[in-house]
Amino acid sequence: MSPVKKILVYIDGTEQSITAAQYAICLSKFTGAELTAQYVINTKALDDLLKARIFFKQEQEEYARDLEADAKRYLDHVLELARVKGVVIDTKSTSGSVNQEILNEVKDGRYDLLVIGELSRTRSRRDEFYNEVERALRSVPCSVLVVKDDEHVWQMYSSLI
Amino acid sequence: MTIAELISTEVVKVPLESKVKPDVIRELVQILMDAGKINDMEAVVEAVNTREELASTGLEAGIAVPHAKTDAVNDLTVALGISPDGCDFDAMDGQPSHLFFLLLAPPDQSGPHLAALSDIAKIAGSRSFCKLLRNARSAEEVVELFLED
Repeated sequence: MSPVKKILVYIDGTEQSITAAQYAICLSKFTGAELTAQYVINTKALDDLLKARIFFKQEQEEYARDLEADAKRYLDHVLELARVKGVVIDTKSTSGSVNQEILNEVKDGRYDLLVIGELSRTRSRRDEFYNEVERALRSVPCSVLVVKDDEHVWQMYSSLI
Repeated sequence: MTIAELISTEVVKVPLESKVKPDVIRELVQILMDAGKINDMEAVVEAVNTREELASTGLEAGIAVPHAKTDAVNDLTVALGISPDGCDFDAMDGQPSHLFFLLLAPPDQSGPHLAALSDIAKIAGSRSFCKLLRNARSAEEVVELFLED
């Protein structure tokens, strides 16, 4: 019996999240677990920046469009990473606060593993408090795998037949 | 990439010498030029000024967050300038601005750009931290404030 049946990997466009996707693809291949990649368009941050008046309305809309394009680009990239390794992957783009959207997806989809990229090296207590993905790590009910060592992961992914 | 990781002594200037908005923007961009973070100063100044013409990023409580998307940077980049005496940055409350976060990002890095701006917005919301920054007397002191004890 496989230890995991449903894997969710969180993609935010960073190199760390792409490494996490490569790891999750390997894990899916090894275990046969269902795999889903999620990108969250952070409309909460867009709204906060508008309220703080760092953004004006048209700027907020422009960034929202950019983020939608980013979501498609990065999820398409992950789809291709999986396809070339013969792994089936579902992709989802949702909007809202990163922490809440990940939590909702984990609960609704009944995932048993969340895979995320390496978190930024914490140098400030404030960053620790603000990091949305770290909040998700703490709040989801399933196990969480934080992927590190991109070179090792790349070798593992590359050697996957 | 968090704001704390982007802040280093080479991108912090205390005190800023400029007293008027166009000069402050140019001085902030010059910090990044001197730090080797950008290679086309005029393109960046123009991008920031163009954004400021649409709406000032001078917020309340003495904080300004000029920002722009530009091809003149390869990665998310920040400069922080502190003006103890303050300068007129067309702030929404009409008061002088003291803390200036200049944030630049390539056009294809909207996600990290948004996250960094969001971090700055939260910092701006912390009156106590802003007061500490405003009272800092050196770049080293500013960096220390961002770092964990």
